[in-house]
Amino acid sequence: MEVADHKAPTLENGQLADENADVLQFMDSMDAYFTLLHSLSSTLRQGWLELASARHSMGAYRVNTVLLDHTSHSAATTLLVTQDEGKVDSVEPRFTLCKWGSSSNEKFLGEKQSSQDQLHPQLRHRGSTQLSEEKTSSENKASCEIDDQVQKGRSKSLSVFGTLVSPKLRSAQLSFETALETLVEMANARSEMLYAFDKVDKKLGDGKE
Amino acid sequence: MANRNQIPTSNSALIAMIADEDTVVGFLLAGVGNVDLRRKTNYLIVDSKTTVKQVEDAFKEFTTREDIAVILISQYVANMIRFLVDSYSKPVPAILEIPSKDHPYDPAHDSILSRVKYLFSAESVASGRR
Repeated sequence: MEVADHKAPTLENGQLADENADVLQFMDSMDAYFTLLHSLSSTLRQGWLELASARHSMGAYRVNTVLLDHTSHSAATTLLVTQDEGKVDSVEPRFTLCKWGSSSNEKFLGEKQSSQDQLHPQLRHRGSTQLSEEKTSSENKASCEIDDQVQKGRSKSLSVFGTLVSPKLRSAQLSFETALETLVEMANARSEMLYAFDKVDKKLGDGKE
Repeated sequence: MANRNQIPTSNSALIAMIADEDTVVGFLLAGVGNVDLRRKTNYLIVDSKTTVKQVEDAFKEFTTREDIAVILISQYVANMIRFLVDSYSKPVPAILEIPSKDHPYDPAHDSILSRVKYLFSAESVASGRR
C-alpha cells in the first residue's frame, strides 16, 4: 500500500514537470518572437529612413517602382525549408536564409574541404604545417569567391536604379538584408511557438475531459 | 497513429510580400524579387488605389503557390483581410505580419498572437487548475 501511495504522487509530479516544461517552452518562444519583432521594427525604420534619404539625394523618379525589373528572373535570396528532425511527430518547418545564394556556396565550401581531407589523410603525419597552410589558402580562396558572388548580387540589384547610386541606397540594402535575417528567425520562432502552443493546448484539453 | 502531413521541403523557396512601396522596394534590394515566365511576381505593392479584392487575390495566390515559403504582409494590409489571415492555419507558407512606415505594429491584431492569447485568459487558467 505504501509503495502504491509513493508511486501515484511520482507519476503526477512527472506529468506536472512535463506540463511545466511545455509551458516554459511556449513562453520562451513567445518571448523570442517579441524580441525579434522589436529588433525588426528598429531595422525596418532604419531601412525606410535610408531609402527616403536615397530618394532625396537621387530624386524620386530614380528610386521608383516603375524602374523595377519585370522581365523573367529568379530571386537571388531564397529560403531553404526543412522539417525539424528533432521532433518525431511534428510538422514544424525550419527556415534557413540563403542570401545571394551564399548558404548553398558555404555548403559547397564545406563539402570541398571534406573531400580534400579524404584525398590527403596520409599527409597529416608529415608536413602538417604545409597542409594546414594549403587548407587555409584554399578556404580563403573559396571565401573570396563567395564574397565576390555576394557583391555581384548586390550590385546587380542596385543597378535597377542606375549605375551611380547614393551610398544611402547601399545602406538601405544592407538594412533590409538584416531585416530578412531577423524575419527568418521570426519564422522559426513562430513555428516553435505554435508547436509548443499545440502541446499545451492539447494537454489543457485532456485535463478538461 | 496516422501520420501528420509532411512539410513541403525546398532548397530555393521564395519570400512573398504584400506591403507598401518602400517596404517592397527595400526587400527587392535585398534580392527576394522573383518574376516567372508568365510575368507573375512574388510581391504586391499596396497603395491607396489597391482594392481589398486585389489584396485577397494576392494572399490566396501566394498561400497556394508551392514555391513560396514565407509571406510578409504589412499588418495594416492584413487588417483589410483579417478574416482570411486569421483562418489560415498551415505551417508553410508562414505568414509574418510586419510593421509599416505609417502604421506601427500592434500585437493585439497579430493573428498568431490572437490564436495563443486565450491561454492567458482567466477562464483557461482557472480550468487548467481544476
